[in-house]
Amino acid sequence: MKPSIAEIKNLSKSFGDFAAVRDVSFEILSGEIMGLLGPNGAGKTTTIHMILGLITPTAGEIRIFGRDLRAHRHEILQEMNFTSPYVAFPTRLTVYENLVVFARMYGVPNRRERIEELLETFGITSLRDKPIARLSSGENTRVGLAKAMLNDPKFLLLDEPTAYLDPEIAWQVREMMLKLQRERGTTILYTSHNMAEVEQMCSRIIFLHHGRVVASGTPIEITQAILREQRDEPALEEAFLRIARERISA
Amino acid sequence: MKANHVTAVIVRHVYEVRRNLDRVLDMVYWPVLDIILWGFFTIYLTRGNTLHPDLVSFLLGASILWGLFYSFQRDMTVGFLDELWSRNLINLFSCPLGVWEYITGLICVNLLKSLVGFGCASAIALVAYKFDIGPMLVTFLPYLAILLLFAFAVGIIMTGLVVRYTTRIQNLAWSFAGLLQPVSCVFYPIKSLPKALRAIAWMLPTTHAFEGMRQVLAGHGFSPTHFAWGMGLNLVYLVFAMFFFEWIFGVARDNGLLVKIE
Repeated sequence: MKPSIAEIKNLSKSFGDFAAVRDVSFEILSGEIMGLLGPNGAGKTTTIHMILGLITPTAGEIRIFGRDLRAHRHEILQEMNFTSPYVAFPTRLTVYENLVVFARMYGVPNRRERIEELLETFGITSLRDKPIARLSSGENTRVGLAKAMLNDPKFLLLDEPTAYLDPEIAWQVREMMLKLQRERGTTILYTSHNMAEVEQMCSRIIFLHHGRVVASGTPIEITQAILREQRDEPALEEAFLRIARERISA
Repeated sequence: MKANHVTAVIVRHVYEVRRNLDRVLDMVYWPVLDIILWGFFTIYLTRGNTLHPDLVSFLLGASILWGLFYSFQRDMTVGFLDELWSRNLINLFSCPLGVWEYITGLICVNLLKSLVGFGCASAIALVAYKFDIGPMLVTFLPYLAILLLFAFAVGIIMTGLVVRYTTRIQNLAWSFAGLLQPVSCVFYPIKSLPKALRAIAWMLPTTHAFEGMRQVLAGHGFSPTHFAWGMGLNLVYLVFAMFFFEWIFGVARDNGLLVKIE
C-alpha cells in the first residue's frame, strides 16, 4: 500500500453556532488524485483552508508528510501549493512579476528559467508582461496554475481549477495534471463541480454534505453508496443531484 | 525568519510602487506639500524678525520629521490593505510565509519609501528655502530613532486592526497620525497644551522626541530624560503591538477572517 501524504482526523470547524465541518476524517495516499466533492456550503473550501493553515480547526488533527500541521506549518507548506480561480493576484503587477514574487517566496532555484518554462507549459508566454488586471478569467486561472507549479509541489490542492476555462484549455489542464501525477507522483486534492471531470481525474473521492463525510471511495463505490443500487459505470452527476435534491426537499 | 520570504514581500511592494501611481503620490505628495506650506509660513515669520531663527527653522525640520513618522505608519497599513484590495491574502498566507516575515518585509519596504519622501522634502527645503536639515539631523538622530520606533508600533497596531475589521476601518491608515499630531507637540512646546491633555501627551514617545529636539535647539543639549522616556514608552508600545498583532492574527485564523476578507 502506498504511504499516506495527508491524514485528516476528526476535523471540525464551527463559526459561532454554525458547524461548517463536522468530524471529518480521511487519508490521502502518495501519488493519488483525490476528489473532494459536495454541494455548495458542504465544507469543501473550509476543509482546504484548514489544510493550508489559513483557518484554525475547532477540533481534530491534520498531519501532512507525517508531520503535525500546527507545529510544522512552514516546512509543510514549502512542499505544497494551492490554486483556486476565486483567489486573485495583485492586479497591477504583471504576470511575470507576480510569479517572481511567489518564486522568491518558495526559494525556487533558477527562477527566471522556471517561470519561462511554466509560462510556456500553460500557454501564457504572450501574457508575460501584461498586468493581471487586463487578463480574462481563464488567463488568470492559468497564471494561478503556473504559480501552483512553481515549487514542483509534492502535494497540490486544486480548488475548481477548470471553473473558468473553455473546454479545450480545461482538457489541457486535466491532461497536464494527470501527466504530473503519472510522471512525478504528485499527490493532488481536487475539488470540482464538473462530475465528468472528477470521474476522469480522481481515483478516490470524499463526498461531503452539511460538513460531514457522507460517502468515500472510488467513483463507482460513491455512485453505488449514494444511489443505493448496483451500477457498472460511475454516475457521479446523478449521485450529486440525489444529494442536492435531498437537501432541498429536507 | 527566512531572508527569501522577507525579500519576496519587499519585491512585491517595490513592484507595486513601480506600477501604482497612488503609491508614488503617497510617498512624495504629502511630504512635499507639507514642506511647501511650512516653508512659506517660516518665510513670513522670519520677515517679522521677532522669533529666534533656530526656532523658525525648527518648524521646517519638525514638518519634515513628522512627515517621516506619518508616512511610515500609514504605509504599513496601506501595504496590508493592498493585499486585501487585490484579494491576495489567501495566495500569500498559503505560502510558507510567517506573519512576522511579512511584517518585517513591510517594515523594510516602508522604511525605504519613507526615506524617499523624506529625501524629497529635504531637497525642496534646501533648494527653495535654504534650509539644510543635515546638521540638525545629526543632533536629532536619537529622537529620530524614537519617532521611527513609534511609527513601527503604530503601524503594526493599525495593520492588526485592519486584519480584524478589514476595509471598514481603512481610513484610519490616513487619519490616525492626525489624531496624534496635536498631542505630540510637533510645532509647539507641551506647556501650550491644556493641563488635561498634557498627561496624554507625556504618554506619547513623539512628544518626548519633539520636546527633546526643542531642548537641543534652545541650547540645553541632549536630554537623557526625554530620550529615556521616549525609548521606554516605545518599548512598551512595541511589545504591546507585537502581542496585539499575534493575538489578532490568531483570532483572524480562528474566525476564518483571512479567507473571508478576500
